[in-house]
Amino acid sequence: MNDLKTVWKTQPLEENTMISLSDIRARAGRFQARIRWRNIALYAYSLANIAISFWLIASGRLSAFKYPMLLMVAAHLLVLWQINRRIATRPLPGDVAAQPALDFYRQELGRQADNLSRAWLWYIAPFIPPYVWELAIWLDRIQTHAIPNADYRLFLFSIIGAVSFWTAVWLAFSRASVRLQLQIERLNVLKAE
Amino acid sequence: MTQDDLYLRAVAEFGPALARLARAYEADADQRCDLLQDIHFALWRSFATFAGQCSLRTWIYRVSHNIAISGRLRRRKLRLVSLEELAGTPAPDDPENAVGNARALARLEILIRRLTPPDDQVMLLYLEDVDAASIAEITGLSSGAVATRIHRIKALLSRQFRQGDSR
Repeated sequence: MNDLKTVWKTQPLEENTMISLSDIRARAGRFQARIRWRNIALYAYSLANIAISFWLIASGRLSAFKYPMLLMVAAHLLVLWQINRRIATRPLPGDVAAQPALDFYRQELGRQADNLSRAWLWYIAPFIPPYVWELAIWLDRIQTHAIPNADYRLFLFSIIGAVSFWTAVWLAFSRASVRLQLQIERLNVLKAE
Repeated sequence: MTQDDLYLRAVAEFGPALARLARAYEADADQRCDLLQDIHFALWRSFATFAGQCSLRTWIYRVSHNIAISGRLRRRKLRLVSLEELAGTPAPDDPENAVGNARALARLEILIRRLTPPDDQVMLLYLEDVDAASIAEITGLSSGAVATRIHRIKALLSRQFRQGDSR
């Protein structure tokens, strides 16, 4: 067995396994820039959505949808805040070293499982009320012939598409969460040994 | 010591061990290089908060193993198994050839990559000749659990490599 340890410790290593301080500093700069651009992109996406919504409301287009659109803007802001909050709670470098590997692994799995199991609450649910509201207005406008040549097929297709999409997202999140929970339980057993 | 001094000391003392760790976790050369850079970067950042809470070795192994685990969580392709499950894996048909250094290394890497945390970590640290008490401190397992795992690792390696020396 000691032979195996010797083989392991004397294995030939690839070149370029040493990284200089200047490489590290350059990487730190790229890391900060990536975070900055990711945050900018996140804000830009939501602000663009919000700006378009406000423009549609102010210009009088889709005026019947004014209030659900305002609610959709609020949903965007809520999701944006949640994403930022969850990104902010990721372990800092100090935490990476402060915890033994088993605890760190369990915490990482727990964090992912928690985010996945609650995703419907913070990622899906905020968009449901404005969406349902918009559907109700749309249906009313079809029934009262406020939309010329409107038919129910597009309306139904929109509902089936949205329900299928959000159900698939929810199922995928739930399945992944259950798998992670099983791993956490296994680690809990190990920790108790 | 400054953050830079600590990092340079860590690289001087544990650079080869970190490279072996990256090699054990990643078969693909590019991903291995990425993982190694991630580990070095995390180490350098972590030294900003190092105040002698534990030994330098424990700190370095914790950071490197935790970063490797995070990478594994992101890029999981293979179903990972515990030591108990891996014990049922058939030994190679040609145990004599398996003992050749290159083959032995390749086989060790395959075994480590198939193991689920913290079994893979215990095996890696065992191969690095880290003592059981330090393995317990790094992994968070109890001393008893580490001893059990080392016993199983020895049995597994002995079976896989059919070596006479089973100390």
